[in-house]
Amino acid sequence: MDKDYIGEVIESSTGDFLAECLELNSSPPFGSFVKVAGRSPTIGLVFSVSTHSIEPNRRPTAYGKTEEELRLEQPQIFELLKTEFRALITGYIDTTGAHPFLPPQPPRIHSFFHPCDADEVRMFTDTSDSLRAIMNAPRLPTDDLLIASVRGAWMAHNRDTAYLVTMGKDLSRLIRDDYDRLSSIIRRIAQ
Amino acid sequence: MKTRTPLGVITKGSLIEGLEMKLDPSQGVEDVKAGKFVVIEGAKNEFFSMITDLRLDATNPEVLIHPPQEDNPLLHEVLNGTSTYISVCLRPMLMLEKGQSLANDETRPVKTIPPHFSRVSEAEEADVARVFGSESMGDRYFNIGTPLDMETPVCLDLSRFAERSNGIFGKTGTGKSFLTRLVLSGLINNEKAVNLIFDMHNEYGWKAVQESGVGKGAFVKGLKQLFGEKVAIFSLDPKSTRARGVQPDHEVAITYDQVAVEDVIPLQEELRLNPTAAESAYLVYAIYKEKWLRTLLSQDGKDIEEFAKDIGANPISLVALHRKLKRFERYPFFVDRLSGPDAVDTMMDYIDRGIHIVLEFGQETSVLCYLLVANIIARRIHENYIHKSEKYYASQDIKDQPRQLIITIEEAHKFLNPFTAKQTIFGTIAREMRKYFVSLLIVDQRPSGIDEEVLSQIGTKITALLNDEKDIQAVLTGVSNAAGLRSVLASLDTKQQALILGHAVPMPVVIKTRDYDEKFYRDMGCLPPEERKKKTKKDIADLFGEAGEVVEDLVAVGSDRPGNVVPFRKR
Repeated sequence: MDKDYIGEVIESSTGDFLAECLELNSSPPFGSFVKVAGRSPTIGLVFSVSTHSIEPNRRPTAYGKTEEELRLEQPQIFELLKTEFRALITGYIDTTGAHPFLPPQPPRIHSFFHPCDADEVRMFTDTSDSLRAIMNAPRLPTDDLLIASVRGAWMAHNRDTAYLVTMGKDLSRLIRDDYDRLSSIIRRIAQ
Repeated sequence: MKTRTPLGVITKGSLIEGLEMKLDPSQGVEDVKAGKFVVIEGAKNEFFSMITDLRLDATNPEVLIHPPQEDNPLLHEVLNGTSTYISVCLRPMLMLEKGQSLANDETRPVKTIPPHFSRVSEAEEADVARVFGSESMGDRYFNIGTPLDMETPVCLDLSRFAERSNGIFGKTGTGKSFLTRLVLSGLINNEKAVNLIFDMHNEYGWKAVQESGVGKGAFVKGLKQLFGEKVAIFSLDPKSTRARGVQPDHEVAITYDQVAVEDVIPLQEELRLNPTAAESAYLVYAIYKEKWLRTLLSQDGKDIEEFAKDIGANPISLVALHRKLKRFERYPFFVDRLSGPDAVDTMMDYIDRGIHIVLEFGQETSVLCYLLVANIIARRIHENYIHKSEKYYASQDIKDQPRQLIITIEEAHKFLNPFTAKQTIFGTIAREMRKYFVSLLIVDQRPSGIDEEVLSQIGTKITALLNDEKDIQAVLTGVSNAAGLRSVLASLDTKQQALILGHAVPMPVVIKTRDYDEKFYRDMGCLPPEERKKKTKKDIADLFGEAGEVVEDLVAVGSDRPGNVVPFRKR
């Protein structure tokens, strides 16, 4: 069994999956890549993270205390919370290599996942295919996701400026006519 | 072949309007200059082209309205080549099948265009040699310079150059004389034609001041210094020639009897002759034949009216003609009787022996004098050549074939403007003398002043910078697809750059002209004194062996001087 896992898949579909983290507040960062274990490991891009009650009908209440105080006084309430995230599926890996498109089968429920290492990130971010997937997916915080994922990929590419320029150019082709949007995204990526 | 450096890809264009390339974003636009020589790699052919224009383009007008801030270099880089890009206009000039090189005398006009996204690359050194030949391929090729930003020489095909009349144009101070000296050196060195140079400003024969480049202000060698006995200096003003430290080979004197009416009529503008002057002159000529000018000038002013009545001419017109022609008398080269051999006969003799002639005007630099003398001499040489050519056509014996003669004239628009081109001998030569083995090398700063008919007959044009729209138009007369070349011509540097187009080059090309320096002198066979001595010694040793030492002593004195003067040979 994979010991490094940080959570498991609890809802899965062709385009995205929902995963629950092993520990509270320990979700992979927004815009980072995760790998779901399996026969053909699936690569997902984290686009939404949430922490809430494990019981759908119960809501946490404000106590007016810091987290440290609460952990001392009422440690049980933290056991009633969980952290989940949603990830956009951007590709998968099989015996023939890495593929920047949707896998034939979505990840299986209860599959474990862990964060992608730099090599895996580079494998899926050398081209701008993931940017296109983000642009085309509905109901996403598209601009912020673009910024976060490009910045993450840039780190994996050892902060190579040439890489950033290439991604910027691809982005400009994807965004085409919306110059304001492009310049806003590029400005934020560069910060 | 070495892989060429890619510049971009072809995106659109047409055969008539030329092609358009999208510049690769990795290339700096400022490194791509108008006039640059590039190769478009089509599927089957390679298209040798010239960059004619560059344009900043944007896919989205928003970008232009809200340009990226200076503090956002990433956005600048991202936009470069995507939303904002550079379009480069190319004019294909020559088409060759891949791997094929240009066979002699074969011109390949472009008949098709390369497909979409054909790669455009900077031409490599090998490409230049493939298109323009190289000096190692034979003495018909003469290195005249290099394409912009390249080192491989562009060669002029001198055999083709000598076949037709040619022009060297450029506004004043752009190096016309320099270009002319370069071309003349090539012609003399490669012996493709004999030159007769009407040297108005005394800058071809002996030393001339260099106007630009490394040795600005220094003196450069003239043709006589470079080629020694292959060149003879004739002088109209021997005093001035000697004052400059040059011994002319021959002093030119002209008698009044050698002036024909046809020599005077083209001076209409300079002499302000009336329209009736020609008629009056012909009336005098009808009676006195070749003594017409001598007779006319010998009349006293007050007797002219009487004289006019005698010959039936209009007195007022003849008085005016007499008064104006009187100006000739103050020219020192006009003599009553020749004391030595006739200058034109001597010239013909030199030309027949393949010796090139520089006719210096000394201090007689007035346009009037230049036009008059050039007309008189060229007319007589022209007559001689017609005679020789007819003899050759009759005998069809290669021995009788006259040597190809190139006459160099400056201020050509004075001889060849639309009004006088039909009257001067130079108009005739430019139009039809090719078949009589005489052609012109026209040096001029105002090509728009030259008759269009003459311009369209010019084979090769070497053009330095021209700004005036009319001049540019005139130079490009008779050139197909001239629109692109227009911008190239107007964007040349003021020094050492020229556009060559026409008969002697397979495609128009912008060159940085060859340096006129020690290396050039050496290439032309003119060695520095020490090397000359060594070479002479070696030659003598090769020829005479041991006995050579005596001969060596004899020639040692003469060998110090470059271009020692050949004594005039009496006929």
